[in-house]
Parts: sequence; structure tokens; C-alpha cells
Amino acid sequence: MLKRLSAIHSRLLIVFLWAIGCFGFFQGYYPYHFFYKEQNQLFLWTNDYLATYFDQPAWLACMVGDFLTQFYYYLYAGSTILTLSLLLLMGVLYAALRRIGLRKGWAFGVAVLLTTLEAFCHLRYDFRLASTYALIGGVSLFLCTFQKRYLLILFSPLAYWLFGYGVWVYLLLSIIKNWKWMIPTSITVLIGVCFLKGTYLLPTDRLYTYPGVGKLTMPNWYLEKQFQIDDEYYFGNWNKVVQLVESEESLTSEMLFFYNLVKAQQGQLPDVLLRYQPNVLGTFYKVGPDTPMLTIKNMNELYYALGDMTFCERATLMACVFSPNNRNNRMVKRLAECSLIKGDTAAAQKYLGLLENTFVWRQWAKKAPQSKVYAEKATMMNQQDTISLSDNAHAIMMQLLDSNPKNEVALDYILCSTLLLKDVKSFKRDYDRYCLSSPRIRKLYQEALCIWLAAEQAPQEQWQLYIKDMSVMQRFMQYNQQRGNAQFKDTYWYYFDKGKAPQI
Amino acid sequence: MKTLSSIISLSILFLLFSCTPIPKNVSKSEAMPSIYPDYADVTIPVNIAPLNFLIRDEVEAVQVKAGDITLNARGNEVVFDEDDWRELLAANSDIEVTVTTLKDGKWTEYRPFHWQVVKDKVDPYLTYRLIEPDYEIWNNLQIIQRCVENFDEKALCDYRLTNNQCMNCHATGNQNPQLSMMYVRGPQGGAVLNQNGKLRKLAIKTSDMVSGSVYYGFSPSGRYITFSTNVIIPAFHSRADKRLEVYDSKSDVYVADLQENRIIRSSLLSDSLTFETFPTFSPDGKYIYYCAAPHVQLPQELQQLQYALVRIPFDEATGTIGTKVDTLLNAKGSSVCHPRISPDGKYIVYTVADYGTFPIWHQESDLQMMNLLTRQIDTMAIVNSPRSDTYHSWSSNSRWLVFASKRDNGLYGKPYFCYIDSNGKPHKPFVLPQRSPSFYDQTLKSFNVPELSKGEIPFDAVDVEQLLQQEAEPFH
Repeated sequence: MLKRLSAIHSRLLIVFLWAIGCFGFFQGYYPYHFFYKEQNQLFLWTNDYLATYFDQPAWLACMVGDFLTQFYYYLYAGSTILTLSLLLLMGVLYAALRRIGLRKGWAFGVAVLLTTLEAFCHLRYDFRLASTYALIGGVSLFLCTFQKRYLLILFSPLAYWLFGYGVWVYLLLSIIKNWKWMIPTSITVLIGVCFLKGTYLLPTDRLYTYPGVGKLTMPNWYLEKQFQIDDEYYFGNWNKVVQLVESEESLTSEMLFFYNLVKAQQGQLPDVLLRYQPNVLGTFYKVGPDTPMLTIKNMNELYYALGDMTFCERATLMACVFSPNNRNNRMVKRLAECSLIKGDTAAAQKYLGLLENTFVWRQWAKKAPQSKVYAEKATMMNQQDTISLSDNAHAIMMQLLDSNPKNEVALDYILCSTLLLKDVKSFKRDYDRYCLSSPRIRKLYQEALCIWLAAEQAPQEQWQLYIKDMSVMQRFMQYNQQRGNAQFKDTYWYYFDKGKAPQI
Repeated sequence: MKTLSSIISLSILFLLFSCTPIPKNVSKSEAMPSIYPDYADVTIPVNIAPLNFLIRDEVEAVQVKAGDITLNARGNEVVFDEDDWRELLAANSDIEVTVTTLKDGKWTEYRPFHWQVVKDKVDPYLTYRLIEPDYEIWNNLQIIQRCVENFDEKALCDYRLTNNQCMNCHATGNQNPQLSMMYVRGPQGGAVLNQNGKLRKLAIKTSDMVSGSVYYGFSPSGRYITFSTNVIIPAFHSRADKRLEVYDSKSDVYVADLQENRIIRSSLLSDSLTFETFPTFSPDGKYIYYCAAPHVQLPQELQQLQYALVRIPFDEATGTIGTKVDTLLNAKGSSVCHPRISPDGKYIVYTVADYGTFPIWHQESDLQMMNLLTRQIDTMAIVNSPRSDTYHSWSSNSRWLVFASKRDNGLYGKPYFCYIDSNGKPHKPFVLPQRSPSFYDQTLKSFNVPELSKGEIPFDAVDVEQLLQQEAEPFH
């Protein structure tokens, strides 16, 4: 008796430790993948939307999985939901393995092993919780029907309808339990699924694996880091973005992009432009059909910060279109914001109406039209109408500044972009155009102006007109005596001589 | 699956109806009820599916009296029983609809509106492309056929079975379901021609053309198609309210003989100094109508790019193009697009925009109708909206017109039906009814290029998937 109790306790302890390990890993090291998955859907709590789940196999698994996935938005919810779901899988697997005759120890070991493998599948950014519920469903259905042969047969097609590829687990367990009847049944189901192509409009391989068989994956730390910076920016934790970048040794282009975006909106872009090399502003990206999804999303953020709602909406719609099933709640939210800023009430209502049918964004959608943020943002919009063949950020920023010269984000981006390219001539042109009447005195700009003035051999009055910071002047004279000296690494002159400009 | 979802929906509705409040102490209002879609005072064909609608208000319950039908529902959605609806339409030509709603415990009866039911049927099948209202990209496209007499749908082409390739709209010859064509672009793509259910994959492009065929129309016999080749350039307006601009940097018009796989050319239709596009045969096959504009510097002079409506003779017996181009309409300050002639040959409906060739993104785009006998133009004021109205197609009896309109929000196109009576007078249009009145609120798809046909198209997406494995027939 004591031995038995001890075995139960040890199994419970293993499950407990496994759960702690699973939760701890996903919460401590991999939480941003949850946000990515949550954003990549738009789960509506409406009859119409729920009815669309019947258009595909595994409707129950998909409905449950997607329903739960929407709550990944909340802190700790992703790890909690996933851990509990995997524990459920482990439990039903254990029970099913026991029913087919495995000894407790073996059943437990196999259940833990299979669940661990399933947990590894969740390391992929595109692996859906629905797939785990397809397995849970298939195994659970077996547990409900295994005692009656006719039930096993009867529920075989139902298993496919409800749980997609979970049917194969169901049939496998059923064959072990009752091979004489279940082998012909399985062959019938196997062949029958092939004929569902016209119903579900899925290619053959997807018909048999819907909603998606997992692939064993190792953690993708690079992607997690990308998601982290993107999400912290999205959540408005700008100080954390800065902190993350400043404490990181191997910076990704994504991190630099968001770091600059935060600094630009804090009026500090010129102060940090040369801090990290090579730097990434995002203003040289072109958005098109071949642009990576993350870059398209970044462009939406950049144009939103700059105040250009045309290109912001374009990038947002593209990101939405390239999301699974063309649905992405973050992008729909941004589309609503763009429309509110543009004053396009009808379009805004379209997107707000959708969000009002979600659990997570309902309150936000109700309050958004009253927010003053959008009215302020509207003053930054482009008032000119020109036609361009591509998203030439420089031209866009010029139009934004012509429409609203107080748009400091656009001003710093336009000046810093030309400086990053070492195009001092264009920098000077833009500086004259937008800063002559109200000079923007920044060390970086002063240093760049020194280069132009020296190259033009400008008269003293010109130097006096542009150079207001005398310490820059003095350092410039020192630099000219020691060009390329590393002690001037913090200056634009050093970057101009030694730095590498981005290729465009 | 559709049947199952409808059974479940109906079961839910049944449960809801079983405990629905009935109006009492009703107060009357002179206001019109705030219904969506706007089905107030519209003319509808006798064979249309139920005009289910919702009340744009947070009401607790609603009662609708339409002819002999009294419908009580909890919530704000009005969904008619299909059998009752058919009986209602068959028995009435003028249906008065009275809406009474329960809000904050008070019943209010609104000013009634009318549905004028006409015996002229609309062609029962409608095809359209479902696409996000995006700019220059696509993902997950479908071409769908919908029966407008009920809510049945089937996919004629589906992204999941075509490797997510781009597909262009489906057009029939003379609204005949046994003659139709659509395009699947990209690798393994081609023109998918349906002739009596037999599918052919065609490569309607020769080395001298600037592109494959883009806009096309069948000749009355079905032996020929006239098509345009277009180099299409997407560009962007900087003004947030204008969004996208799409124009052709090159375009020509040709005729293809589908029997001999031969291209028929005319220097008048591929003039290097003129843009020619949107060709369509007249119902008698004697003319090709199309749009033409003189070359301008693009994109600098885009706003001067204005197309005229012209036609050139064609002899179907010999397959020869005529030698004289007539101009029917050269309206100053506007550009003509998408001419489509009524099957009885009396009217031509086209889109007018300020400039260019892509009216779907021009908010000012409107439909206009010309009487081909008198050349009198009807601006179709009752049909048009402040937003884009374009991409129209006729019903085979020339009494109905379907077109894509972005009138609701400027982004998502929806198919609207408009009745043209025997005097050529257009009536207020109505949007394609859906099983669920909130369908349009919840969809993120735009309905693109709606086209009517007299019957069900005899192929589906699986047939197209199989066809795409074959080699395309070349043209010379």
C-alpha cells in the first residue's frame, strides 16, 4: 500500500515539476511568442464568426484553441493556458494508454514523453493551440467510446469532423483496442477523408493533418528577441525598449529600429544616431509583396509615428493580409486608429465594430473614438496630394513637414536619414528648408553643418549663422588636426570619415 | 458544412424566438427605422433571397410586419424564413414593412417603408472574387458563385487549391453558365475557359503583347473574346483620403479566336500613341466597344489621363476587325471605364471617374447609362453614392444590373442590384442579402467584379486545381 502511494506521489511530483518547468520556461524565456500568436487572429464572439469554424475540419479543436489563444494577450495567461492544456493532454494520454493495456509506469512515461514533444512543437511561432486540442479531443473521444465497439466505429468520422488529425490518434488507440473492427474502419476513414477535398477545399496533405501537425523545434531566441522588442514598443513600455537595447550585446536590426523610434518620439534621435553602428532607421525600407512580415509591421509603426496615415494604413493592411486567414487584431486596431485620425468615421466604425466583438478589445473599441490622441495626431497628417510609385520615405517626410513644420519626429528622421547616408548636401538642403527659421540645435546637426561649411569654404557669417554650439566648433578644429582619431568616435565627423553608410 | 451551420444557426434562432417579447403599449414615430443594410423603399426581383436586416441600435427586441408575415425576434436581427419569404414575394407586388422595436422597455413603431416586387427575375447566380481591399498585393483569394435566390455558395477557384496564386475575375459569355473564363496568374496559371463544363487552360499571350489578357468579353457566338493587355502600375496618393492610384503605362486591345487559338490584331487597337482598354462585344457582335485615351506623361500627367468611349466594327463571320473608330462619348473632365452593354442592346452602362482606369479606388466613381439609340445619358443619381460605384454587369433580361459599391465605408466593396424598368429608369439599389444581417459588418473581404449568370457554373475549385496541372494551349 505504502509502495503504491509512494508511486502515485512520485508521479504527481513529476507532473508538478513538469508543469512548473513548462510554465517557468514559457513565462520566463519565451513569453513573447504568445503575444505574436495572439495578435495573429481576430476571434469574434458572434454566431457568424463561430459558424465559420464549420467550414473546416477540426472545428471544435480550432474553436477551443483559438478561443483560448485570444487570452494570451494578458500577462501570464499564455504560459498558464499552455501548461494547463499540455497537462490535460498528458492526463488523457495517460488514461488512454492505461485503457489499451500499458502498465502505469509505462503509460505515465509515454504520456510525459509525448506531452513534452508536443510542448517542443509550441516553440514554433506558427504552431496553434488548436493542434494540441485536436490531440486532446481525439484521445478524449477514445476514452469516451472505447468500451463499445459500435461507438468506436460510429465516432470515427465524428472524430475527424471535430478534431481533424486527432482522428488518427483516435484510430490508432482504437486499433490497439479492437484491431479486427477498427482496421477496416480506419482504412475507410483514411480513404473517406480524401473525398472531402471539395467540401473543405484543402490540399490533400492539409486534409490529413488539419489543423497542423507539430514539428519538433528548438527555441528560436532570435525571433523571441524580435518579438520582445516589438511587443514592448506596442504595449507602450518605451523605457523597457531603451533598457533592453542598451543592455544588449548583440543587437538585431529590429531592436535598433524600435530604439530609434522611441528616441525619435522623445526628441532624442540625433543624440543616439551614432551610438550603434550600423544603425537602422527603417526609412530606407521599401514595402512590397516580398518584404518580410516583421518589416511590414515595423513600417506601420514608423509611418504611424511620423504621422503619415496613407502609408501607415497601407503597411497595416498588408500585414493584416499576410497574417493567417488574413486576420490580425493588432492590425485591425491600427486600421481603426488610422481611420479615426483621418476622420473617416465609417471606416473606423467598421474596425471598431469588429473589435467590439472581441473579449480583449471590447472596452478599448468603445472608448477609442473619444480619445484626444487621435485628434492631436490628425494635425500631423499630410495635406498635400502627390502620386508616387513607391514608398519613398524622404519624399513622404518632406510632405509631412511641409504640411506641419512642427512635426519633430519627421524632422529628425529626415535629417538623420540623410546623415546616415553621409549625404550632407541633402541634409543641408533639408535643414535650410525646415530649420532656418527655428534652428534645431543638436550636436549631431551642428557637426554635420561643420562638414558642409568647411567643404563650401563658407565665410565667417555663414559659420555664425549655423554653428551655435562653440564647443562643437572647437572640437571640429581639433578633429581636423587628427582626422580619424578614435577619440572622436562619438562625432559625426568620425562616422563621415570611417563609418559605413547603409546600402540602399 | 454550410447546411450544418445553417441548421445550428436556425436552432439558436428557434430557441431565441420561443421566448420573444410581443409589442404592447406601442408609441408611433415618424422617423424611419435605422436598418442595415439599407433596404428601405427598394425594388426587388421576385426571386431574390430574404432581405434579412438588423436595427442599428441597441434594441432588446424587434417586430417586423411585412405583408402577411409577422416576425418577432429578440435582439436586433431580422431573419426571415426562406419559405415564408418566397410566398411573400410571389403573392405581393408592393410590400409594406413596419418595424417596431423594444428599447429601454418601450415599444416604438417606425414609419413603414416599402418593397416593390417586380416579376422580372434577376439571373439567379452571381460570381465574384473575394479579396482584401488591399493595394498591390493579394493573399488567400477566392472566386465564389452564390445563388441569389437563397444563400448557397460554391468556390469556383480557391487559394488553398491553387498554391495561393493570384486569380482574376470570372466572366460569362452572354450570362451563359456554359461559357465562361477566369484567370489564375503565376506559375501553372493561365486562362481557365469553360465551354459546356469542359475546361481548357489557355495561354492567351504572344510575344508582341505587353502582357497577358486582363479585361475581356465574349462574342455572342462564344467563338471569340476581345481582351486588353495592360501594364498595370500601382501608385500611391500622399493624401490619406485617396489611398491608391492604379494606371496603365501601356495597353492594347486584341481579339482571340478560341476555336483556332489565333490572335486577331488591328493597328487601330494597338496604337502606340493611344491607350486602349476595357473591350466588350456588342450583343449582336457587330462592334467592339472599348475605352481609349491619348498618351500622356505618367505619372506626372495622370490627372489628364481621361478615356473616351469608342467602338470599332467587328465581323464575327470572318473574324475581322473594322477600319473606323467611332467616338460615342468623350466627356471633358472625366474618364470612362468598364463599358457593358445590356443584352437587349438598348443601353450601355459605364463608370465615370475624374481620371485614370481604376475607378474602384476613386471615391467619385459613378455609373452612367447611355441610351444607344438616342445617345441620351442618365446619370443614375438614385443608384450612385458619394463613394465608388463601379464594375457592373447585366442580367440576361436587361432588367437588372449588379455592381460593386464601396458606399458603406469606402474600403469594402459589396454587390448591389439595381432594377432598370422597361422605360430605362433605374431604381434604388439594394445590397446582396446575406443569411446573417451582420455579415457585412464582420467580413474583412471585399466583393470584387460581380457578374451574373443564368445558371450554375458547371465546375468547381477542385476541377480548376486539376486543370492547372495541365499544359496551357498556346496562341499564335
